[in-house]
Amino acid sequence: MKHGWFYLFGFALLIGFDSLAQINFKFAGMHALPMAANIAWLLRVFGQPWVYGAVVGYIGAFFTWMSLLKHAPIGPAFAASHLDVVSAMLLSIPLFGEHLTAPRVLGAVAIVAGITCLGLAESREHVSDVTAP
Amino acid sequence: MPTHGSISMLVASLWLLNAVLGTGGQLAFKAAAGDPAAGNGLARWKYMVQRPWLWFGIGCYVIEFMVWIAFLSLVPLSQGVLLGSINIVAIMIAGRFLFGEKLTRLRVLGIALVALGVAIVGVAG
Repeated sequence: MKHGWFYLFGFALLIGFDSLAQINFKFAGMHALPMAANIAWLLRVFGQPWVYGAVVGYIGAFFTWMSLLKHAPIGPAFAASHLDVVSAMLLSIPLFGEHLTAPRVLGAVAIVAGITCLGLAESREHVSDVTAP
Repeated sequence: MPTHGSISMLVASLWLLNAVLGTGGQLAFKAAAGDPAAGNGLARWKYMVQRPWLWFGIGCYVIEFMVWIAFLSLVPLSQGVLLGSINIVAIMIAGRFLFGEKLTRLRVLGIALVALGVAIVGVAG
């Protein structure tokens, strides 16, 4: 892969933006408690900076994803777009004092294995696109 | 209050709603973008904004955004993001039935593993 480092940077950036979004979603929810299906809750959500951090993360992830799709192999790109599951889980330990319980670790391993399979399946289908010399 | 172990009824409802909205939005965008009559360039966008699918997709995503915040306020982030992976499964299965996308053996294995992981986290926390 000629542009290996470039792709790797792109994948890392994608995971970074997705993690940023998830962390800000969690903060937005925490700071708007108690959760209720009403205007007061919406005002609490949008009255704090967190939700806008989530929007920034989403927009960043969107444009990173779009430019990755143009150049990078689809399989690894697909996998990277879902690996924020792992990064958000790890970041939740220092940020929110959460614990890596055994079921969560086991579940994460199964999910990452599944995402890897789906990424490989995508790569195989687009194998004609990546006939690098 | 962060729950450990099995998730509550409210959390399960928000989780399901998130999956339905995420899948609905994705499929609506697919329907909007995949319409062969849409043409190219600016004309394609003009065609799309005059038809319901694009707006339906945007509506789903806006509501999903709020549902996801509500959901994450009730579960730990580590558990929430893992449970949210069910969207991958829902979208792949819906794509199979609505757009006839093929499910190869590797895809089925991937879907099963993601579903298994979500089930472990949902049942045991």
